[in-house]
Amino acid sequence: MKDLADHLFDILENSVNAGANEVIVKIAHTKSYFFCSISDNGKGINGQEVLDPFVTSRKTRRVGLGLPLLKRAVEDTCGYLKIMRIDESGGTALQFKMYLTHIDAKPLGDLSRTFSDIFFAWPELALKLFRIENDTEKLVLDFQELRIEIEKGQKDYSNIRKHIQEVSQKELRI
Amino acid sequence: MKNIEELKLMREKVKQDLRLRSGQHRIKIVVGMGSCGIAAGAREVMNEFVTLIENSKRSDIIVTASGCFGFCAQEPMIHIYVEEQRPVTYRNVDIEAARLIFNEHVLNNRVVEQYLFSKGKK
Repeated sequence: MKDLADHLFDILENSVNAGANEVIVKIAHTKSYFFCSISDNGKGINGQEVLDPFVTSRKTRRVGLGLPLLKRAVEDTCGYLKIMRIDESGGTALQFKMYLTHIDAKPLGDLSRTFSDIFFAWPELALKLFRIENDTEKLVLDFQELRIEIEKGQKDYSNIRKHIQEVSQKELRI
Repeated sequence: MKNIEELKLMREKVKQDLRLRSGQHRIKIVVGMGSCGIAAGAREVMNEFVTLIENSKRSDIIVTASGCFGFCAQEPMIHIYVEEQRPVTYRNVDIEAARLIFNEHVLNNRVVEQYLFSKGKK
């Protein structure tokens, strides 16, 4: 993984693989750190075991590296990765923090493209993106809403990639 | 009030958009997006396909993502499903390969041997 944008796409793919159709992503982004919390309604994971590369629910291959790689990348910067399971409703919640000023920090990469990629890669996924700033949460993107607007003809499907990238770029910058 | 030509154009555009979204497609490109694929550059490849499809103005081609195909060393990998044909799998698909495969296989139905992984069901 070259940058954080790749990692983000990768762990969101985990959610889809776990059967999630709703994902909530919250991002706090300052000059010194990048914080992200993700919760989904998939089938859930075992918080301890999943960080072991040799634990995976997949059948194609016996090693799972997505989360261990992210854990390594954030811990290299003195950050953390925490995995929580939401017991009542099922699903998984995780959060991580990466210190961007640390010398071992990976580049952020193009986060706005991560979201446009997700929109095209999984047409069924209802993703909501929030930006956390000064303890308030602001809704930046709502894929379900976007799809309804396309359905009604209020938005143009062919411009949607640009739209998602522009909105997330504008809202996620420091 | 718009004139009839404008209305016709609008109708064509909406029809194309509709077809793109309603799952009526003849050709499906599936990009492997496991951790292995992403690390090998599958996102660039998928983006390239989205752009190629946009530029070709074809509304019967879609691109989607799947998980790991199980051959991580040969990522990025893609499947191409053409209606009523056996699926074809390509390996080590970079941006250049994506363009070649799109022009040859997707548009002209010629298999690109250079990046071929397998034909038929995996």
